Amino acid sequence: MSGPWEELVSTALVGAGRRAVPPEILLERAAEQVVRMRAGRRTGRAGLPAVAPEETLPPVPAAAAERLARMLAGQQSRLLTEWLETAAARRVRVPAALVPGLLDLGARDRSIRAHLGAVTGARGRWLAGLNPRWAYLLAEPAHVPPDQVWELGTSGDRRAFLTALRRADPAAARELLERGWDAETPEDRAAFVAILADGLGMADEPFLEAVLDDRRREVRQAAADLLTRLPGSRLALRMTARARRSVTGHGGRLRAEPPAACDTAMERDGVRARPPAGMETRGWWLQQVVAHTPLSFWPDHLAMRPDEIVRARIGAWEREVRMGWTRAAILQRDPTWARALFEIEPLTDLLTVLPPGERSRRAAELVAGHPVDGQMVMMLGGVPRPWGRRLAVAVLERIAETFRTQPWNAGELTRLAGERFDPAMHEHAGKVPELAETLRFRFDMLKELQ
Amino acid sequence: MSERLATVRRVTKRWGQAAIRGTGDAGTGRDGTGADAAGRAADRRTHAERRESRVAAGLSELERWLADQVGHGIAQARQTGPSDWDDLARRLVDAQAPGVAGTVTRLSRVLGAEDWPGLLLGEYALLHLLAVAHRRSAALPEPLRQTVRARVGFPVTRESVLATPAVRDHWHVVGDRDEEQERLVARRVWLAGRTTGRRAMVLSFSPAGQPAEPFPPPGATIDADLAFYPGASPLRALVAGQRGPVDAGPPPGTAVSEAPALIAEVLAADPWTDSWPLVLAGAVPGMDGVADGEGNALPLHPAAGVPWRLLAVSGGRPVTVAAEWTPRGLLPLTVWDERGGAVRL
Repeated sequence: MSGPWEELVSTALVGAGRRAVPPEILLERAAEQVVRMRAGRRTGRAGLPAVAPEETLPPVPAAAAERLARMLAGQQSRLLTEWLETAAARRVRVPAALVPGLLDLGARDRSIRAHLGAVTGARGRWLAGLNPRWAYLLAEPAHVPPDQVWELGTSGDRRAFLTALRRADPAAARELLERGWDAETPEDRAAFVAILADGLGMADEPFLEAVLDDRRREVRQAAADLLTRLPGSRLALRMTARARRSVTGHGGRLRAEPPAACDTAMERDGVRARPPAGMETRGWWLQQVVAHTPLSFWPDHLAMRPDEIVRARIGAWEREVRMGWTRAAILQRDPTWARALFEIEPLTDLLTVLPPGERSRRAAELVAGHPVDGQMVMMLGGVPRPWGRRLAVAVLERIAETFRTQPWNAGELTRLAGERFDPAMHEHAGKVPELAETLRFRFDMLKELQ
Repeated sequence: MSERLATVRRVTKRWGQAAIRGTGDAGTGRDGTGADAAGRAADRRTHAERRESRVAAGLSELERWLADQVGHGIAQARQTGPSDWDDLARRLVDAQAPGVAGTVTRLSRVLGAEDWPGLLLGEYALLHLLAVAHRRSAALPEPLRQTVRARVGFPVTRESVLATPAVRDHWHVVGDRDEEQERLVARRVWLAGRTTGRRAMVLSFSPAGQPAEPFPPPGATIDADLAFYPGASPLRALVAGQRGPVDAGPPPGTAVSEAPALIAEVLAADPWTDSWPLVLAGAVPGMDGVADGEGNALPLHPAAGVPWRLLAVSGGRPVTVAAEWTPRGLLPLTVWDERGGAVRL
């Protein structure tokens, strides 16, 4: 027996009768012991966490913090991403008490993690070090001072640092990257290559060409995507040679002939040999060759303008070739091709390549002539916030009309409009109270964060 | 700050009226007037006598039942306990001892713990102690006799509580918690007196699904008169009158190292105490306890989990934190951040 209490418990378990103890006596002794133990408990020892570092960012204004607390409790929670994005851009931090709730959200929703890195401040990183569920935060940029970021920062910090350096001095950014290239993780290598898209030029070509030999497919793919934007690159020339054989023109008609095989040279250039489920293998290779060929090649080769090319009949493989051009227009961010392709098939991904004004106009035209259904909501879902005035007015009209005729169909479009409209529109949305309320909420929310 | 104060003032006003009007507390006495008053008083007397004998019978049955349990052994309690306790609680309700019945109903909570045999024996022993104390209550000092009667479940009228001298102070609201039980939401609000150093708990009930009576939130301080229910270690109180909110900042607290002595004193007066509000100053929260600067720590209740919000606010630095003491550990209620703002936990 280890002590009087343990002895009492063991007697009670087997039964006081078996040990010839009157039960009342056992209960009385136990009562005395339990009160004695409760009253006599001393303090123990506790391992305490290290003190959190001082914050470097100012706190958000009180009104903004109170609104965030309400949003975390469920009010207009769809707008949380915009709140976080705006606060991150303003370089302010949230009150410490709200950090755990936000980090829990980030554990479920990757899309907000980059903003969380900034707005949860030093306290967020301190908590992430204590809770494995929140460790993802340590990979996000945190707005720390730049002097030693490249050597010591989180991978998010280093990506942010490289992005800024690339904007200021493209060559310096590339050279910094080349120096420590072999020591970087595959995830970082792929992300770093993508950062070179900003200020991309032929000076980057030798480095990117070398990256095509990387061990990881994601890294090779990122380099190949960039090289297709450089018509003078070796990859562009190799792709052009393949494209020349694959698509030919004869007096306004086009003919396509997919590659017979996907050799190692093609794979090195980013062509993936295995097609996605349900796709014909050679058609898949053809589509990728077209997608990775500089668009500037086609008008000369086929002696036609882009708008003529995308309209021309091809016969067999037409779908694959068009998909290739669409992918190329998006990858190479080419508005002329995007415009021409959008006329044929209005894919929202193409809209993102167009200048904002035109994007808004084209989406507005589409909204006016299209029934309010899931496809339209999906199309509009691809148009980033804020929607221009023309698009907003067109959508508002359709929502008001749908509320009159098929109110059960208006909900989703109304919610999307609430997230994407310029919140200053709240005064003009009176016809749709639910929308006006959301816009008003965003209007106040953004004002508080200024 | 002035806007916050105005809100608190508004809420306090509404709540104050409600508190005076009274919420559905058991046994609200209604005194008759005129000719039939004497007859009603006589009725009440026989009614009270009947209740006394029923309670006595119920508690002596409880004594026998407890002796029988530990006599035969409690090893099977995990299997047979819950249905036995349901039956016993029903009989105790019939015997008009709702306080004891509630304790019996809550016994199943201990079964989830690894050391349930010890916890269960402790609960059985305290129930035994209560039944014996009630049997011998004539020999007890009056405050302890009142404690025993309250724990057994004899009602105390609001009028009799409000008739006792009230304690005026600036009362810090240091925590609140809602608990749903049988279609009612029980709200506990814990208060700490700024100058008297006294602790209080105001209990109110509202139907589930309906908004509870408004009460100033943790962090507020009210200038109020509290009337305490009688007992050896009085905690439960009514708001007898209040003069509105005052701006006072965080409540004064005790050091972590002083808390054990404080709890010992409370238990010495009322050994059945299983909840007491603590306000700890200069306390550093850890993953499973709250410590002082030297690392002397009070453990958290095992069911409380890691107190992430509390940790977030403190950042490893000392803070003022209010917590409910229970025999198994602390349940954090409120923390005051570096700017003196209260955060509910």
